[in-house]
Amino acid sequence: MTILDVCGISRRFGGLQALSDVTFSVPKGQIVGLIGPNGAGKTTFFSTLVGLIKPDSGSITLDGVGVVGLKPHKVVGLGMTKTFQNVALFAESSVLDNVLTAGLLRHDVETARERALVCLDRVGLKSVADKMAGNLSFPERARVELARALCTDPKVLLLDEVMAALNPVEMQEIMDLIRELRDDGITLLVVEHHMRAIMTICDRILVLNFGRLLADGTPREVANDPVVVEAYLGRSVEGHA
Amino acid sequence: MKRWIPIAVIVLAAAAVPLLLNPTGYWIRVFTFTLLFAAMAQAWNLIGGLANQLSLGHAAFFGIGAYTSTILLLKFGISPWLGMFAGGALGGVAALIIAIPTMRLQGHYFALATLAFGEVARVIANVWTSLTGGPVGLSVPFVPPGFAAYSFKQLLPHAYIALIALIIVTAIFEVIRRGAMGYRLRAIRENAAAAEVIGIDTTKVKLQTAVISGVLIAMLGTLYAQVAVFFDPDTVFNAMSISIRVALIAIIGGVGTAIGPILGALFIVPVEELMNDLFSAGAAGLSQLIFGVILIVVILWRPRGLVTVIEALRTWLRGKGAQS
Repeated sequence: MTILDVCGISRRFGGLQALSDVTFSVPKGQIVGLIGPNGAGKTTFFSTLVGLIKPDSGSITLDGVGVVGLKPHKVVGLGMTKTFQNVALFAESSVLDNVLTAGLLRHDVETARERALVCLDRVGLKSVADKMAGNLSFPERARVELARALCTDPKVLLLDEVMAALNPVEMQEIMDLIRELRDDGITLLVVEHHMRAIMTICDRILVLNFGRLLADGTPREVANDPVVVEAYLGRSVEGHA
Repeated sequence: MKRWIPIAVIVLAAAAVPLLLNPTGYWIRVFTFTLLFAAMAQAWNLIGGLANQLSLGHAAFFGIGAYTSTILLLKFGISPWLGMFAGGALGGVAALIIAIPTMRLQGHYFALATLAFGEVARVIANVWTSLTGGPVGLSVPFVPPGFAAYSFKQLLPHAYIALIALIIVTAIFEVIRRGAMGYRLRAIRENAAAAEVIGIDTTKVKLQTAVISGVLIAMLGTLYAQVAVFFDPDTVFNAMSISIRVALIAIIGGVGTAIGPILGALFIVPVEELMNDLFSAGAAGLSQLIFGVILIVVILWRPRGLVTVIEALRTWLRGKGAQS
């Protein structure tokens, strides 16, 4: 069953074609990696999916409902949200309040508080619930952001580099969590620079380069795709074959 | 239960004050205006404190409230109690109309735009003579005294009405601050894009807050009209003495806190009156100059508001308690 269907999404910023005719669809319960060189359009693409950026053309269908042109809070209400690459917590609120606020989308304050504690527990941060979010370390803040996104009860969750600056143990924890979430029925799109992590957890990988979808396949297929290798290394590899 | 005790003590103390003042004197009037301005600053605190948008145009809604109830009383003999709700409704509509274009503005731009809207309201009130009487102003007609007619021989009932108004507006502020809307407003204040992406309708929440704030300060405009008895567009639509003053009271007291506007009004209104009392016989503008200097000193001493004095006092008392 298709949960997310993206068809012909394009977006131009002045002279820069940030996204160009991006088309793919994701069945429910997949973990999809989105990779590509810096500036390939990954973050722009996530922002477009949740409605923070409006595409010039194309359609996005979430669980049968078109979401292009909807405000972000409507898209989140329909079940798709994202985390921010540079982490956008409410720095002067407590960790618990950050996550609780997301729970208010579908619950009253008391239920949202219970839900928030569950979400914090899942990312292993229940113990810092009362701390001010701005006082946490960067990896911790990234996990709070993940908990906050989870607290909106998403069907599709877009994770923008949640593993940045994590040590190997923490990274393993997040990878396990992503698998658990998938087992709970959440579909995940993951932007990550750490190749080993992405190759390990993803069922499928999309490669974006200059706003264009370059490849779409299993981790093995993508890793052996000469077009992908060229995009990453910046030159043709044919001569060496 | 325990946290209600200090609140009950403060309310009872405030209720006792007017009984100690000369019922026909000057200071009961100052006390009434202190409570009224505290309530006005509390209404402003919703938009200025919780949404963190520095509105400098609240005189527009305040003036609409004062004029609506007084015009309804003059032309149709409608009790100001009912006129207060009519004024509140019109104030809410005006707040909505101003909020729609200004809501997207941030910081200085929002402040300037709201200031301009407030001034537009003042100009309209001056020019629309057939409705408002223009620059001549309006006198609230004397009707036989009685609670239903909102007419009293003395200031004492006005003092209690202002106290009750302050309690109600403060309660509304606290309920909003602690509830779902308070969480949403804090989220918007800290990061609007992130707030949207966790499902907050940032436009709706901002508009709701602006309207509630506008309704409340418009209703307080009626209370002001009933105490002042006479007013003109340049008093109730005044940028300095209404818009900036309510913002100043909340900021000096501690913006975004329930106690802040109360502390701010308790400080600013009586001190300003006292300065006028003491120095008005001196050179022109001397009292304002001294008042200005006092404000600057307080702002430098407590940049986060007088509320921090209470916090410091509490910490000190706790330290004392731990020692003994």
